[in-house]
Amino acid sequence: MAIDKKMKILIVDDFSTMRRIIKNLLRDLGFTNTEEADDGTTALPMLQTGKFDFLVTDWNMPGMQGIDLLKHVRADEKLSSMPVLMVTAEQKREQIVEAAQAGVNGYIVKPFTAQTLKEKLDKIFERIEG
Amino acid sequence: MEQQQNLLSTENIAKVKNLLASMEAGDLEKSQECFDELAEMRESELYQEIGKLTRELHDSINTFGLDDRLTDIAEDEIPDARQRLAHVITMTDEAANNTLTAVEESMPLCEQVISVTRSVENEWQRFSNRELNVDEFKKLSKELKSYFEINSSSAIKINEHLNNVLMAQGFQDLTSQIIKRVISLVEEVEISMVSIIQLAGSRPNSNKETKDKENSKLEGPVIPGLEASGTVSGQDEVDDLLSSLGF
Repeated sequence: MAIDKKMKILIVDDFSTMRRIIKNLLRDLGFTNTEEADDGTTALPMLQTGKFDFLVTDWNMPGMQGIDLLKHVRADEKLSSMPVLMVTAEQKREQIVEAAQAGVNGYIVKPFTAQTLKEKLDKIFERIEG
Repeated sequence: MEQQQNLLSTENIAKVKNLLASMEAGDLEKSQECFDELAEMRESELYQEIGKLTRELHDSINTFGLDDRLTDIAEDEIPDARQRLAHVITMTDEAANNTLTAVEESMPLCEQVISVTRSVENEWQRFSNRELNVDEFKKLSKELKSYFEINSSSAIKINEHLNNVLMAQGFQDLTSQIIKRVISLVEEVEISMVSIIQLAGSRPNSNKETKDKENSKLEGPVIPGLEASGTVSGQDEVDDLLSSLGF
């Protein structure tokens, strides 16, 4: 199965350090085509341009939070099928359930490892392919 | 004002007239009686006023909701904040140590690559100048083989160390989230202290906005040793939970 490593990925997190970490890890995995946004409010218009294939988002952000961004994506006809991976410090069961119900494709809790990111991405692509 | 009006009421004037009349008549007993009556009236007014003040004070303390909130802060949230900040120290400490370890382990690898490169470079130069005999060439050939091995294994290790440095920076996001929460607690304590000062200094406005601290539903990072109900303890539990939901 061929994962298109050229796919365009949007990384949304309010901390630039975390965005850089995710960006570098993705690059290490071969995904070099990434862009960044610092919260849902800036991310949504970027996504709506239709340039992106994949979304990695934090939950707790000023402005629009990750969960609301996810809901907007799922409600948008053009974006609704976009895979969304959540990378967050939120570890409440009810929140994980909420994200799952909102249609998240993967959920990673911080702090995480490069291996975890790889596994979750692989799993998401596996499901999309299959 | 109201009190002054009461003081000048016809009833009071009558009482004072009575007192004056009995004094002028030399009736000691009657005078005493009238005098007591006036004094008593004055006292009961004072008690009423104190009662009113007490009730107002009580009401305003209640509407403040300060006492409960402050108890919470003192009993739970300050120790909680202390633990959170201690966790920040642990995380920054770990990040610094992981970074230092990665750097310390990378440096000798770089030095090794540099020194092996230099020695091979010299021999290679001699080879290019056709200065090597067959035995020396065989030796160089062996050296080149180990040079490639050292180079690639060092690069792989250095890459690993660099990844560790990268991952170590995750502390910045997590510690900031923790520190922000503590800052908002400090702000709340400050606001409560100001309210107490106002309460002590003057009568508070009865409907002083009680700051409903956004006990936001987002909890941020789980702090080891702090009870956090309904949370998962790591990625494995997240995965279990999600797979139980059909993921």
